[in-house]
Amino acid sequence: MIDRIACVLAVALLATGVDRIHAEIPSTPKSAKGEAFVPQPQLAKIASLGFDSLASDYYWLQAIQLVGGAVEDPSAHGYTIGRLVDIVTQLNPHVGHPYRFAAIWMTGSENDVRFANELLERAIENHPSDWRNYFYKGFNHFYYLAEYPEAADELEAAAGIAGSPAYLKRLVPRLRSQSEGLEVAAAMLSELHRSAPGPAARVEYEKALDEIETERRARMLDDARERFKKRHGRDIEQVEELAVGPKRVLRELPPEIHGWEWMLDNRTGEIVSSYYKARYQVHQHHRPGLFTPSAKTAKTNVREGSEQ
Amino acid sequence: MTTEGREVVRVEGLVKEFRPGLGLRAKRVLDGITFSVQENEIFGLVGPNGAGKTTMLKTLMGLIRPTAGTASILGHDIQESGFRKHVGFLPEVSYFYDYLTGVEFLDFYAKLSGVPRADRPERIATLLGWVGLSHAGDARLRTYSKGMLQRAGIAQALIHDPQIVFLDEPMSGLDPLGRKEIRDLILRLRSDGKTVFMNTHILSDVEMVCDRVAIIVEGKIRYEGQIEHFISSDQQRADVVLANVSAELASTLEERFRAELRDHGQQVEARVPEKIVSDLLRACLEAGAQVLSVTPVRVSLESIFLETVEETTHAREQEGL
Amino acid sequence: MFGRIATIANNTVREAVRNKVLYALVFFAVLLIGVGVLLSTLSYVEQERIIQDVGLSAIRLFSALISIFLGVGLIHKEVDRRTIYTIVTKSVARWEFLIGKYLGLVATVWMQVIVMSVAFLAVSYLTGAPIHAQHFYALLLTAGEVAMLVAIATFFSAFTTPMLASFFTGGFYVVGHLTRDLKQLGSQSDVESVKTAANVLYRLLPDLESFNLTVEALHGLPVTPAEVWFPLLYGLAYISVVLLLGSVVFHFKDFR
Ligand SMILES: Nc1ncnc2c1ncn2[C@@H]1O[C@H](COP(=O)(O)OP(=O)(O)O)[C@@H](O)[C@H]1O
Ligand SMILES: [Mg+2]
Repeated sequence: MIDRIACVLAVALLATGVDRIHAEIPSTPKSAKGEAFVPQPQLAKIASLGFDSLASDYYWLQAIQLVGGAVEDPSAHGYTIGRLVDIVTQLNPHVGHPYRFAAIWMTGSENDVRFANELLERAIENHPSDWRNYFYKGFNHFYYLAEYPEAADELEAAAGIAGSPAYLKRLVPRLRSQSEGLEVAAAMLSELHRSAPGPAARVEYEKALDEIETERRARMLDDARERFKKRHGRDIEQVEELAVGPKRVLRELPPEIHGWEWMLDNRTGEIVSSYYKARYQVHQHHRPGLFTPSAKTAKTNVREGSEQ
Repeated sequence: MTTEGREVVRVEGLVKEFRPGLGLRAKRVLDGITFSVQENEIFGLVGPNGAGKTTMLKTLMGLIRPTAGTASILGHDIQESGFRKHVGFLPEVSYFYDYLTGVEFLDFYAKLSGVPRADRPERIATLLGWVGLSHAGDARLRTYSKGMLQRAGIAQALIHDPQIVFLDEPMSGLDPLGRKEIRDLILRLRSDGKTVFMNTHILSDVEMVCDRVAIIVEGKIRYEGQIEHFISSDQQRADVVLANVSAELASTLEERFRAELRDHGQQVEARVPEKIVSDLLRACLEAGAQVLSVTPVRVSLESIFLETVEETTHAREQEGL
Repeated sequence: MFGRIATIANNTVREAVRNKVLYALVFFAVLLIGVGVLLSTLSYVEQERIIQDVGLSAIRLFSALISIFLGVGLIHKEVDRRTIYTIVTKSVARWEFLIGKYLGLVATVWMQVIVMSVAFLAVSYLTGAPIHAQHFYALLLTAGEVAMLVAIATFFSAFTTPMLASFFTGGFYVVGHLTRDLKQLGSQSDVESVKTAANVLYRLLPDLESFNLTVEALHGLPVTPAEVWFPLLYGLAYISVVLLLGSVVFHFKDFR
């Protein structure tokens, strides 16, 4: 009896040891180690031995883990994500979401965006009647690449497909006329927000929409500032001046959307939100260094995220 | 005692060479074997281990192909397979499907050899009785002992009531009682009109059941003939030990009686055919010699067997020189 | 003849059914189908598709493994353990034995495919994944593919050891899924002999990829009757050739 108990205890002890040691082995997903592990799509196809769809799902889960917390800043891994989604969609071109997943996260550089558009091209080939792929492609052209005619073409194609939202038709002429893009951006982001796959992604779009709303209010303040100059013959020294005194030009200041304040930028003299400390520009490629990490930390990217 | 029946097995000039591998020298295991088996006899193929008995039987069963020569069973060339429904076979090492019960096992073979469905249960029960496995019919072969497996193997060989049965070492793995049961079974087969061909190296079994034997040594048949031949009286001898043998008597013994004499000083040992022993004794007593003992010498199969094997080995050694 | 073949086939099934290893394999396959549900939660989209992908792939993988695992020893084991001695000496022609063993193993593997398919359909149903005709076509062709594999394994098993037979059969399985790529690579080559060689291999080796309707099933893509019946017909013809070859080789074999 005693030796049996001893045996059980010994096994339990050893098993605990095994578990402890096991826990020490790093278990980060392979994809987090960078693109080095990602094989050539051709090779992956041969190595999958007829289990193409299974292999495709394997790489898909790898890609998702990158976004789901395996790395700090997913869009800095845009190229790796692109390579993974490239494999996923070569192994099984009939998948749907991975194409748009790539488009959402491949925003780190112009090359990434163009790579994403190539993947969207493949999506369109395989799903010609899914308006979302045209839409995402159009958005990339418009938002990141400032290529309005191309953006207009894609949106026009999307608008022509049954089931697409009606307002797409209205966006097309605006893009064609190369008019200022705040409302177009707002409309498209609202669409992305509406179709976001979950709360985490929605939060990201809300942030982007907040940014646009802030910009709209800032522009309203700009108008007020012009009126103030006419009325007072001088510029404001503080934003609050717009809504104080008997000769105020605004009854009250529009609230800063985050509950922060409006202030004058020391350098440019522009009215800015103390939250962003800079004015928003729709077509960010006008700003040098858009696709660099510093620009991203200034929250210039639209994100759709996973729920993980 | 065998009536000169028809030949049921005929082997002529059979040669089998095993090629161990590409380029290696072929090994001749059967070297021009010729013999025949008559209907309704018990035929023994006898030889030491490695003589080629199993190889011969496997060739007859179509399991291996002869390199040269021909063989037929019941008038059919062994390359055919249609006549095999009249043939039963017990291999040397019996590996059977051990996941089957005894009854399932026999049913499987009964189906394969075309025993009608209606006859099967009875036939299976009969066979299990014959080989003494009635109590184990519902147990899996996995649980059988070596001897039980051997019995099951014999039952399998007989399930379809074949005209001729080939048994490779049928008594191996059996206890003395088991050997007797199988001997009785083989004798019963003969009285049922069947022919039995058995391989063995156990000579007492041969002496007890076989009608005719062929002795095979190193792939060659050294002897083929009736078993009575060995035990017939003119082959039997006796050793007579004598004392006080005069030189005159000694020469008489050698000349008149063709006795082989061995001088042991005081005593002389004489080996003579059994039927002249009484004459010889009379002559010796008349000549004043003293008879110390008379021992019959059994010139058994064993001695012929040993002689043959020794001769062969001897011949080979001389070749080697 | 049919009676003897059926008897041998029947006994082969019985052996498999009484072999515990198989239950373990099927159990693992069913487990893997279930694991698909877990895996799918890693993805926030197309989860049902991933469940079905893992499920169908598990069925294909395990049925192929079982086919190779059992097929490579199918004939060799009988010769090696000499169980065949008492069979082919009972007016059972060697080709009858080979075909009987083959059919028995195919029936065994098909039974397993059915069990796994039921598990697959149950998991699909419980997770609300769609089930359409393409799933049944895919499963049907999986059954066709394993019949091919068993034939190839049986062929090799008729004259070589399980070790070598599993190398060969495994090789055929791998290459059988690549012949199309091979043909394409060949057609891209400028060297005429490479082209010819690739084409010959494409036509010689089993085109196992034509039995793969997984993607069609997963996405409900249209499947033409020709995509179902021609592979089955092709399989039947290919199996006949392979088994005929196997029978010939087996016929001249010495059982030493
Ligand atoms: N498959 C084989 N390959 C090579 N040699 C063999 C083979 N089978 C048997 N032999 C050789 O043939 C000889 C006869 O064997 P066997 O017929 O089994 O003898 P027996 O049954 O008389 O004891 C032996 O020397 C044995 O080594
Ligand atoms: Mg032997």
